[in-house]
Amino acid sequence: MRSVSQAATTLAVLSLLLAPAPALLASSHREAPITALDQKADITDWYAFVDPSHPDRVVMILNVDPFLEPSNGPNYFPFDPGILYEMKIDNNHDGVEDVTFQFRFKTEIRAPGVFTGLVGGLAGIPPITALDGPGSEGLNLRQSYTVTMLANHSRIDLTNGQTLFAVPTNVGPRTMPNYNALRAQGVYDLGNNISVFAGTVADPFFVDLGAAFDSLNFRMAAGGGVLSASVDADDQNNYAPNTLAGFNVNTIVLEVPITMLTADGKLHPASDKNAVIGTYGTTSRSKFAVLRDPNGFEFDLPNSWSQVQRLGNPLINELIIGTGSKDRFSMDDPSNDAQFAPFFLNPLLAQIFASIGIPVPPAPRLDLLPLVQYQAPICPGCAAADAGPIADLLRLNTGVPPTPFASAKRLGFLVGDTSGFPNGRRPNDDVIDIAARAVGGILADPVKFGTRIGDGVNVPSAPTLTTFPFLAPAYSGRDSAHAGPGQPGCTNQPGGICPVN
Amino acid sequence: MKSRIALLLLPCVFAAAQITPAAPPAAGLTPAEIGIQKAEAQIAKQPDHASYYNSLAMAYARRARETSDVRYYQKAEDTLKRALELSPNDFESMKVQTWLLLGRHEFAKALEAATALNKRTPDDVTVYGYLADANAELGNYAAAVEAVQWMLKIRPGNVAGVTRAAYLRELHGDISGALELMQMAYDSTPYQETEDRAWLLTQMAHLHFLAGNLKESEKYAQGALGLFPDYHYALGTLAQVRSAQGRFDEAVTLLQKRYAAAPHAENLYALAEALSRAGRESEAAQSFAEFERLSLAESTIGDNSNHELIAYYADFAHQPEKALKIAVQELARRRDVNTLDCYAWSLAASGDYAGADVQIRKALAVGVKDPRILAHAGAIAMHLHMDAEARHF
Repeated sequence: MRSVSQAATTLAVLSLLLAPAPALLASSHREAPITALDQKADITDWYAFVDPSHPDRVVMILNVDPFLEPSNGPNYFPFDPGILYEMKIDNNHDGVEDVTFQFRFKTEIRAPGVFTGLVGGLAGIPPITALDGPGSEGLNLRQSYTVTMLANHSRIDLTNGQTLFAVPTNVGPRTMPNYNALRAQGVYDLGNNISVFAGTVADPFFVDLGAAFDSLNFRMAAGGGVLSASVDADDQNNYAPNTLAGFNVNTIVLEVPITMLTADGKLHPASDKNAVIGTYGTTSRSKFAVLRDPNGFEFDLPNSWSQVQRLGNPLINELIIGTGSKDRFSMDDPSNDAQFAPFFLNPLLAQIFASIGIPVPPAPRLDLLPLVQYQAPICPGCAAADAGPIADLLRLNTGVPPTPFASAKRLGFLVGDTSGFPNGRRPNDDVIDIAARAVGGILADPVKFGTRIGDGVNVPSAPTLTTFPFLAPAYSGRDSAHAGPGQPGCTNQPGGICPVN
Repeated sequence: MKSRIALLLLPCVFAAAQITPAAPPAAGLTPAEIGIQKAEAQIAKQPDHASYYNSLAMAYARRARETSDVRYYQKAEDTLKRALELSPNDFESMKVQTWLLLGRHEFAKALEAATALNKRTPDDVTVYGYLADANAELGNYAAAVEAVQWMLKIRPGNVAGVTRAAYLRELHGDISGALELMQMAYDSTPYQETEDRAWLLTQMAHLHFLAGNLKESEKYAQGALGLFPDYHYALGTLAQVRSAQGRFDEAVTLLQKRYAAAPHAENLYALAEALSRAGRESEAAQSFAEFERLSLAESTIGDNSNHELIAYYADFAHQPEKALKIAVQELARRRDVNTLDCYAWSLAASGDYAGADVQIRKALAVGVKDPRILAHAGAIAMHLHMDAEARHF
């Protein structure tokens, strides 16, 4: 196990993630002005980690379309066929993607006259028990998708001859009497140790958004923003309401062998720089000329897409980037991120902490820059010349053995769990608390700046699974509820009720 | 807002469960009606808030499209007046005003208004849409293309920009390209926006009709009618398909239904034409006479039926001098491909085939592939003994 000071050093870089506007502590659930106008293209979270059950494979998760209320029919939450969803990997440390996975969706309206996307167990329509064939009659609005890999100037169709269906949301028990079995049909083995899943799931993110939005007015019952030692050590329970509880999100989960991602197609130990990749997810919409070239216009040309959003490290856009630059950041490439370095070096949140009496290191926070470059501790094998440009990439050392989920720590690297954020990111990594503490200066001096800053929301409300596709099934539209203040959802509080104050 | 819309549409869910495709908005409200109701409720709470009147005016304008009832434009204008009283020079109110000018077919005035708004706020995507609409209707196609390209630059993939790009592709003869974009727009349109989706399906039906794919055209038109029963635009397109199939009586029935729902002169003309083709001459004559009366009454205002009136005088009434007079009058207002075609055809009907040839070529130069315009071009070429060209059309 790494020492606390080593972990703390790693965390210093985290402050990069946190500079910010207190009103925006919410993963990436709506941030840049244009993204907020394009909810379907809004990336909420991006995850990349080595699968503990298959240490030779990497899992990447792209979540989009925030705050899906499970009961919000009749259209529910299709992916947008007009959007190109992509997962990108830089493997030679230049900040530019070398391997890309593309996802495109198609919508099929199977009964155009029917006014709900999902119906079953009523009026002669059987319950929805299958994604295709008998039992799928009620899937009026059905989506299929393709997976394409771009690498070495070639395009490879990974669908392996299968028709891949996106898993619909969970409407409720009459329409979908066995939702988990239905969902299982949407887990596809594409061969060669590649698995894919796309559909609606319970949003795995966790935060007391209401308290954060109210100018960091955290619940006193959860420590008022500073956690007690016992609450801090609890990776199983929530002490404050999780705003995301009861909300769904759309996800694409892809698991591939590490050898498909590294520059030389081989596995490497953690000490080898070639084990480290930089990852991010994007959404793009096609751009085209109003009038086509008479010689024909190809929609799939690389330059025929306009990036709407990207996400690498959590919280960068919402917390670090100034409002006047958020759209530019969203649309630009990570390799051009040097232009945003000034935002990283004097995080606004650190200034806010200082203003309320929390000691923080002085600006400029040059110690934060390693998070956006290839450096130790994530890349111990990287020499100074290997750092690459400043780029918002979620970096992952694929050579670090993954911690089994049962013993993983929500504070990840901060408490010595080196296969957690910021070495990649797993669904249960508490990026809010980690980032807040990094901004607070815990990395510079864990004693002097070691305040246990936290919101008291320590775990996702729907438990993460230990196997593919990892994210919990969608909440039921009929039967689920949220976990607001004064409502159930905080197991270790009196009566299991989440505190108001 | 999203949740509220979904809730209001719940009755539709049950209608659907019983598989009664003809009933959706009957149990619930149409998107425009929802908009009207919502804006009225907001005004009731805050009667001095200009933006609610803007919303109400836009909802009325949208209801005009849903129903083809132009009285909603008047209601929209009255509502907008109130918004401007409360907040003179309000940008959003002036956008609504421009939108209403377009609805009234006051294209030159709309262009002027949109140009002023664009100068005031160059980043507003919607204003580019108004610039595009006005320019396209006036026949300024290069300016229309430029405005739509800006829409797509500022907000890639926005449905309003994509549909306008599709229309411009259609006018330039790129039917498959237009279809591609209409499909893209359809895919991005929220499921609950039934009228928008029905409109898009109708546009796709129209494009398939232009391409000669009657079967596909019928499928899309029927899809639109399934989504939005008795949708007047879709009835018209399906009637075109029926006429092309030689099923004139069915076309008549559809057009009677449309005219009942949307009693406008141009719709009566289409009905009279179909009656004539169906061999029901006395009914046709009656309808044509009524059409002429209605059309002449609105001939000098913006929202007229002069294209149909010209066709009537040239093709049925055999009064080419009247056709020419109306065409010259309309040409002073706009020089789009349809008006150029009308002018050319009225010249041809008057015996001036050389003059007709000059005008029809202006329309063809844009690239338009409308079968009616091509047929006119072919007939004009034949009269001028340009046999090879006539065959080309």
